[in-house]
Amino acid sequence: MSDELTLLVLRLVFLLVLWGFIFALVYALRSDLFGAPVRRIKNAGRNDDLIDPFLAEPMPVATAPQQAPTNPVVAGALTEPLAKVPSAAAGPSGTATRLVITTGTKAGVEIPLNGEPLTIGRSSDSSLVIRDEYTSTHHARLVFQNGEWYLHDLDSTNGTFLNARRIGSPVVIPNNTPFTIGKTSFELRR
Amino acid sequence: MSSPELVADDAPADVSVGRIRGDRTPRKLRNLELILLLAACAINGGAIYLVQLAVLDTIDPTPFLLTSMLTIAVLALHITVRSVAPDADPIIIPVATLLNGMGIAQIYRIDLIVKSSGWEATANRQVVWTALAIVLAILVLLFIRNHRVLLRYTYIAGILALVLLLLPLAPIIGKADGGAQVWINLGMFSFQPGEIAKILLAIFFAGYLVRNRDSLSMVGKKFLWMSFPRIRDLGPIMVFWLLAMSVLVFQRDLGTSLLYFGLFLVMIYVATGRASWVFIGLGLFLTGAVVASQSLDYVNSRFRNWLTPFDQAIYDAKRSSYQLVQGLFGLAHGGMSGTGLGQGRPNITPLPQSDYIVGSIGEELGLVGIFVLLALYAILVARGLRIGFAGRDDFGKMLATGLSFALALQVFIVIGGITRVIPLTGLTAPFLAAGGSSLLSNWIIVALFLRLSDTIRNQPKLVIDA
Repeated sequence: MSDELTLLVLRLVFLLVLWGFIFALVYALRSDLFGAPVRRIKNAGRNDDLIDPFLAEPMPVATAPQQAPTNPVVAGALTEPLAKVPSAAAGPSGTATRLVITTGTKAGVEIPLNGEPLTIGRSSDSSLVIRDEYTSTHHARLVFQNGEWYLHDLDSTNGTFLNARRIGSPVVIPNNTPFTIGKTSFELRR
Repeated sequence: MSSPELVADDAPADVSVGRIRGDRTPRKLRNLELILLLAACAINGGAIYLVQLAVLDTIDPTPFLLTSMLTIAVLALHITVRSVAPDADPIIIPVATLLNGMGIAQIYRIDLIVKSSGWEATANRQVVWTALAIVLAILVLLFIRNHRVLLRYTYIAGILALVLLLLPLAPIIGKADGGAQVWINLGMFSFQPGEIAKILLAIFFAGYLVRNRDSLSMVGKKFLWMSFPRIRDLGPIMVFWLLAMSVLVFQRDLGTSLLYFGLFLVMIYVATGRASWVFIGLGLFLTGAVVASQSLDYVNSRFRNWLTPFDQAIYDAKRSSYQLVQGLFGLAHGGMSGTGLGQGRPNITPLPQSDYIVGSIGEELGLVGIFVLLALYAILVARGLRIGFAGRDDFGKMLATGLSFALALQVFIVIGGITRVIPLTGLTAPFLAAGGSSLLSNWIIVALFLRLSDTIRNQPKLVIDA
């Protein structure tokens, strides 16, 4: 027999290891237990919530216009109330948390966004499946990078349109700006 | 937009398709699974090492070769999951692996006392069964690419389950062991078909209730605060009550009968949302159990052993409380932190490797160790229920809920029996206990959980049909 002390220590270590494993499992499950981690948005300096045209009271604070570099034509498609807040129109108005379908058969439906990429296409492995004759198998993709949502067209046949302009390279999607795939239009909202 | 950019963006179409797959987070899930899996395998090896240190005082490499078979098998399963179910839940396989490995270590420990080796040694057979079971799980994953195909075989599953349940009563192959006639003899080894029937019944109940739940949940009379079903809709519950009772009477197996009936009750409750089903069912079952305990000798003795195990007359009687009491003494001997692996005397209790494996582990790892087991089971069951909760199709929801509840109920019946919460019945502790049929069925359940969770994560958030 090995000496008692070694066995005692090993026995207790073994129990500790077992419990360590249990806690590792529970730690791996934490997002299930407490919900997905909330992404903190780095916007300490600028007050840029609420540019939603459907909300009656736009914030009076005029933010410094932060030009979205890839998207020079946003102002053209602005809805009436939004146009009155010109500075906010072009700037990234806070991170979008939902994708709203504005036209098409499912108009009005919202999809919550949690920072995970979202794929759109006819194939059933897309996160958002559109079954019509305009949509390609893997049509487009939304990716969240550096606090902004990028729209990638995945070489679709009929194209992805941001503000009625067909996109080539990935572009930033400003909030409340329609982008269209086939007969379905979407907007990002906060 | 300049054209070079367009070309650069448009040309590698397959690359972007490849990136779509990379976009989801399966690789992260699978790497997590791999890490947990390796940790579980290391703990399993450590358990065998501790047993050898305490019992043999030397290190014998052969058992490590054996447990490495478990490691290789689960790694093969892991690789299969990577390719055919990349979005599956990462927790399930590590938990099952650890339970299985702890079982093997404890079985090996008891083999060392009774000095059995080679094919006689239960641990060796357990390892072979484990490998077989995991291969079967891999096959299930490979062949069932979509769980909804199981819906097509609802009634076939029901009939097969019935046949499997009745097989042990067949004249030549049926075999009674330890009072319960739940075994079939297949030459070299015996098999407990009821374990497989558990899965088939879950498939059958899920399919049947998805099709028929409207008539079971919509119509009915309100009485007191509950809405009761019509008499004619009581058909299925009566059929399964009769089935459970016949298992009780003819196969003399209280635990299995409780397991099947409990599974049915919970699934019908989940499908209809009516508490009255549970009340009717529990009432029927309790009536049946009380009548059986009065009229059937062996059920009566189980109840008697449960209520007054320490009575000397009962301890010495023919169907005595000897096993139960020895198990309780063992647990008491273990105390809070146990005697240490290889340092207790779990072999004094009858059937320390199969029915009483939890008692054996409880003696050597103590209350702290038992709670590890319970936590592992709880996590496994919680994952199953979570899969059911997140599922989009009713059949998948019902199946996941049913399977995880069956697992939970089985653990309750086994450990409740050993700790004298309910009468002791002979069921196996899932993954732990020595026994091939139990391992096969539980690893198939693991495969089904993996398949279901993969389908759920893969499902689109929204489908727009033009």
